[in-house]
Amino acid sequence: MKQPKILFLVVIALLPLTLVSCVSGGTQSARGWPGTIVHDGIIYAGSTDGSVVAINSSTENLEWSYSIALVTAPSSFLSCGQTSAPTAIYGTPVVDRDIVYIGTYSGQVLALNMLARSQNLTFPQQRYGEWKWDCPIDNAESNAIVADLLLSEDAIYVSSSNGRVYSLDKEFGDLNWESKILDEKHRKLWTSPVIQGNTLYVSTYDGHIYALLLETGELLDWFFESEAGFTSSPVIDEDTIFLGSFDRYLYAVKIGSDLPMWKFPQEEPAGNWFWASPIVNEGIVYAGCLDGRVYAIEAKTGGKLWEFDAGNAIVSSPVLMDNLLIVTDESGTVYVFDLSVELEDEAAPLKVISIEADVRSSFCAQEGLVYIRGEDNWIYVVDIDSGEVSWKVPLTIEE
Amino acid sequence: MIEVWHLIIGNPVLNVLIALSHLLSGEFGLAIIALTIIVRLISWPLTKRQLNSSKALQDMQPKIQELQKKYGKNKQKLQQEMMKLYKEAGVNPLGCLWPMLIQFPIWIALYQAIMRALATTPENLLDLAHRLYSWDIVNQAIPLNSHFLWLDLGQPDPYMILAIIVGGTMWVQQKMTQAPAIDPGQQSTSRMMLLMMPLMFGFLTLMFPSGLALYWAVSNVIGIITQYFVTGGWGYLKFRSPFQSTQ
Repeated sequence: MKQPKILFLVVIALLPLTLVSCVSGGTQSARGWPGTIVHDGIIYAGSTDGSVVAINSSTENLEWSYSIALVTAPSSFLSCGQTSAPTAIYGTPVVDRDIVYIGTYSGQVLALNMLARSQNLTFPQQRYGEWKWDCPIDNAESNAIVADLLLSEDAIYVSSSNGRVYSLDKEFGDLNWESKILDEKHRKLWTSPVIQGNTLYVSTYDGHIYALLLETGELLDWFFESEAGFTSSPVIDEDTIFLGSFDRYLYAVKIGSDLPMWKFPQEEPAGNWFWASPIVNEGIVYAGCLDGRVYAIEAKTGGKLWEFDAGNAIVSSPVLMDNLLIVTDESGTVYVFDLSVELEDEAAPLKVISIEADVRSSFCAQEGLVYIRGEDNWIYVVDIDSGEVSWKVPLTIEE
Repeated sequence: MIEVWHLIIGNPVLNVLIALSHLLSGEFGLAIIALTIIVRLISWPLTKRQLNSSKALQDMQPKIQELQKKYGKNKQKLQQEMMKLYKEAGVNPLGCLWPMLIQFPIWIALYQAIMRALATTPENLLDLAHRLYSWDIVNQAIPLNSHFLWLDLGQPDPYMILAIIVGGTMWVQQKMTQAPAIDPGQQSTSRMMLLMMPLMFGFLTLMFPSGLALYWAVSNVIGIITQYFVTGGWGYLKFRSPFQSTQ
């Protein structure tokens, strides 16, 4: 009698431990979803192993690859030590002349010189204009840089998970200014700022759009306040800001106004968040939604022109190439819409191309080719004319 | 199987927790406390049964002491008579453990809900979008504020205060409900169990997100209060073991 009882008690006591070891909590670690950009015939992309990679789009060969230093991370449960892991990258590299800028989840901004990287010199080579900037944690949980970096003529603007926006000197990486904490509640600034004139506009998860003076970072008098937080980075067309919200509406906000110009959809909210930034072209807003639909909306009125149901969440922003609208859904299907013809209420794409890899990152299109980084860490080059994947290359460089 | 779990338990707990957070001024900590109260209310029939069982055990103590005196030297006979007595009274001395067992799925769901709702990485935030119901109350609450009192609910309490509260309240609750062992051999096991569970949970509090530990602490406090009022006192907290008294 005694032994089974003890056994039962031990099992009861061990159950919490089983709970710890078996249940992951369903969370996913920061792996990153860096986007792609093409500049002077070279494709630049981040990879999930913490590297910045340059690939020649003509020869399809690797030009250079720079592996960002590993970061220390707390190791798993009941292990007291620390482990090293590649830093995650979420932003798209930004290229200016011979420098590639990238922000990392470990809170760094790196300026990489193409020549120095192709020679595989030790980083940073200051004589080549290379630098590294470490974002302060500033009593926040994290200093991670998730949003795309924003480049102006002489500065680079960085949104940080510590709640501040920073302006850095483009040439030397020196700090020009830091804003006050814009989102005290969440601190996370995972959306990119946008410039118009001498003002920087920033959206926050606590539902604000702030206007900052570009030169000093000083907060201007006007701000917009919404009940729900903003999911996407703001996009400006003329004097109107377009952005998605957690309340499943797309907002159009006239700069200087306290009320939204319109919210889309006009009646019931959409099926999910407008996660990706919309794009605006010739008075029409094109927005992808996590409910799997692409919407074309009249910028002045917020009226729906047409929609298309892709069936899978749209995580990446749409891209325009000439008169073609290119949209990818999360399952890796590329939809091409011809904007030169009038599209009906339920629009049909001109072409549908599958790359057979999930897509979450931003992509780019140039000269009939679409450059997409799949979640399998490969770059896919899609030829719009042929409707096929022209070629693909892995971003993880095997030693 | 995993999808069924999310459909039936995981996602409902997640959405209710977020909705509660919105109703309670965006305070995620208060939402956890409110959910704990709801869970305790739902499990009330089971708790009541367990408390009644515990009360019956207390009432049986004079009879147990009598048996102790009568069969003190014959352990086997004492055990047999004790079991007979329990059976006649319809009491299970280990019955207090069942409510805890029933709560395991809730703990798992709550742990997952806390981690998912706080969405510490961009991947988690995107994943959260696919799990939310289309209720306005839920979507307007996102993203959640992870701070409550001195705690970051997605991280363990760095000051160990919560570990002490969880361990302490669990010990009190167990001590109130756990009938003293009759057999000296069993007494050491019983004493070990009385210490083991609070120590274990205190230790786990140091490892788990403090949001889950907050659930444990509040659940224990509610348990102590209901135990006090249902059984009409501190139960075995003030009770001396019959074995000790016979000695």
